[in-house]
Amino acid sequence: MAEGPRGTPRHVACVMDGNGRWAAQRSLPRTAGHEAAEAAVIDTIEAAHGAGVEWLTLYAFSTENWGRPGGEVEFLMRLARRTVRRRALFLHARGIRCRFLGTGDPRIPPALARDMADLTELTRRNRRMTLTIALDHGGRRDIVEAARSLIRGGVPADQVTEHSFAGHLPHPDTPDVDLVIRTSGEQRISNFMLWQVAYAEWIFPGALWPDFRAADFRECLDTYRRRDRRFGGVRAPAASGKGPR
Amino acid sequence: MSPAPVHDDPADVLGPHALLASYCDDARWGLAVVRATVLEAAHPQIGAALIDNSTFVTHPWRRLRNTLLSTRRIMDADPDVRDREAARLNRLHARISGTDEAGRPYSALDAGARAWVVATLFESTVTLARLSGESLDGPSMERLYGEFRAFLALLEGNADALPPTVPEFWPYYDGMLARGLENTEAIRVILYKLFAHVPAPPVLRGRPAVWAVGRAVGGPAAAMVVVATLPESFRRQAGLADLPGAGALSRGLHLGTGVATRLLPKAWTRTGTVMGLLDPEGEELPAVLEALRGRTGQAAALIRLLTPDRADAGPRAGDGPAARSADRFFAEVLDQTGNGTLDWPDLASMAREIAGRLDLDAADEERLYDAYARWWRELLADLDADGDGRITRGEYAAAASSLAGPALIRLAEVLFATADTDGDGDISAAEHRALFRTAFGRDLDGRPDGEDARARCSRADFVRDFVAFMSGQRSSTAYDALLVQA
Repeated sequence: MAEGPRGTPRHVACVMDGNGRWAAQRSLPRTAGHEAAEAAVIDTIEAAHGAGVEWLTLYAFSTENWGRPGGEVEFLMRLARRTVRRRALFLHARGIRCRFLGTGDPRIPPALARDMADLTELTRRNRRMTLTIALDHGGRRDIVEAARSLIRGGVPADQVTEHSFAGHLPHPDTPDVDLVIRTSGEQRISNFMLWQVAYAEWIFPGALWPDFRAADFRECLDTYRRRDRRFGGVRAPAASGKGPR
Repeated sequence: MSPAPVHDDPADVLGPHALLASYCDDARWGLAVVRATVLEAAHPQIGAALIDNSTFVTHPWRRLRNTLLSTRRIMDADPDVRDREAARLNRLHARISGTDEAGRPYSALDAGARAWVVATLFESTVTLARLSGESLDGPSMERLYGEFRAFLALLEGNADALPPTVPEFWPYYDGMLARGLENTEAIRVILYKLFAHVPAPPVLRGRPAVWAVGRAVGGPAAAMVVVATLPESFRRQAGLADLPGAGALSRGLHLGTGVATRLLPKAWTRTGTVMGLLDPEGEELPAVLEALRGRTGQAAALIRLLTPDRADAGPRAGDGPAARSADRFFAEVLDQTGNGTLDWPDLASMAREIAGRLDLDAADEERLYDAYARWWRELLADLDADGDGRITRGEYAAAASSLAGPALIRLAEVLFATADTDGDGDISAAEHRALFRTAFGRDLDGRPDGEDARARCSRADFVRDFVAFMSGQRSSTAYDALLVQA
């Protein structure tokens, strides 16, 4: 994949931040913020789909979030389930392949795990865009898991390269992230896909996630296109791809 | 299809080039099989055998699956496979005999009865081809008839019980309709009980509500369609109501499925697809159909995602290693024929299912049946309080805890030995699959271990699992799939 129409990022990741603050500003319970986030998710998927983004990753729930009050976690799980079921046809009809990152946690309710597996199965053959939902995901944990997998595979130390290591990460076919959008003005990585974001551009729009809309997403893409990605060198040969080999 | 070479050897009429093979491969043929079953059931010998021995009312999907698998073997290119299957069917039928309620003896090996089975299959295939607008011409009909006769000859050694040509067949058929049949209980059971109570196919298991709605509409419609296509004289004799509109409905349905068969991707209407639905966990589909199985998996996923579901449904029955109540175990596992009591045909049907799955040869099959028979005597001795040769629900519930006797353990050992085909003292993943048709999943440890080809099950583990399951102490996904579902 060469530059494309001047650097539409191939892989965009969104850290969906600001639901709680959005609700607090309106004196609503935090759960109301999560509920309002669904519209932003759908809008973003539509916008990415329309703009020709091939890979979209949404960071929905991190390993650390299990520490939130039980009621909120439970609500999030129910919301996730409802969204998956309600949007399955919408996603399938648009030719979007859906996958989930970090669904192995036994605390995930079996019904939700089943629905996620079904959605994955249903959309397995779609190729227009790959949507990865990072649910209960931790970047460090992925790296540790990859290291374990390498050790179990008995790979000799001198044969471990960046490329071979990446093959042991979950969904190894996922290309490096080109652009990360983190809403609500927060400027932290928060343990998100640490390996894959090594050369990513970061954009921090001020909007809280429930307010984030297609127009905001397109604006982020424009900002990205204006930036000159260097991959640490003088000039990159391509604006996207697997990173340096 | 290449023009079939003309052979004198009757067995060579069968095989993948046969006309019949292409029908077996068409999912619509399932309707012909159901319709033929109704006609078969009117034969006094067959009706009695069905009522006493068959599990199709309680496990219709399993029975359909087994029928399709068996037909496929009969149509195999290799004559040895065909002979083996014919021998297996003969052994299976040899075990089915008894006396009906009127005290008349019946046997599944009766030549006249078997000829009638083949005759109804032929007639149903011809009739449904006609109704779906693809009538057979004279030579094709002769050829198909020849293949059915070859099938009978494969089972019987000769096809003398069927007239030699099609023109002679119709008088025989009409004569049977007029004089050879009865209004048996089996007809009514098939038409009204089977269609109204047919359990969910494996794909829809876990969505009982969806299935119940579909069945409420589809069951009566299916019965109506089958009845409408039966010969007029037969309907009159069996006292089956002539419903207005049923004829039009059935012609429309057959025509519709005929058109659909032409429009849909060819693979979708193949019997293999249906078998994939009957057996979503199955491993047996040929490689060509692998992709297709993915499709049925997708369809199943979509159905599950789109059907409403109580948000906080508790764990479903059979999900965990929870003990099953004695009553439920009796109904779901032991009473295979669904007649409310436990008797020998129930255990024989378990042996039959296992022998069919493992494709046992005569000696192993004999050992398995013997082991089941010993267990049956043990059960009778322990549980049959009133000595009437049957075990009722009440008798079972009163003594259920003492079920794990020595004969049951012996049965587990025999089953282990037959399933351990390479005799290395362990059941490998492949051997386990042959028995349960699912990936290797030891229930005891909770977590299925699907990918690990090295996973093995030792004799002691196997015997313990089996005894725990059969004595109702623990439910098990693998045994549920074998003996409970479908």
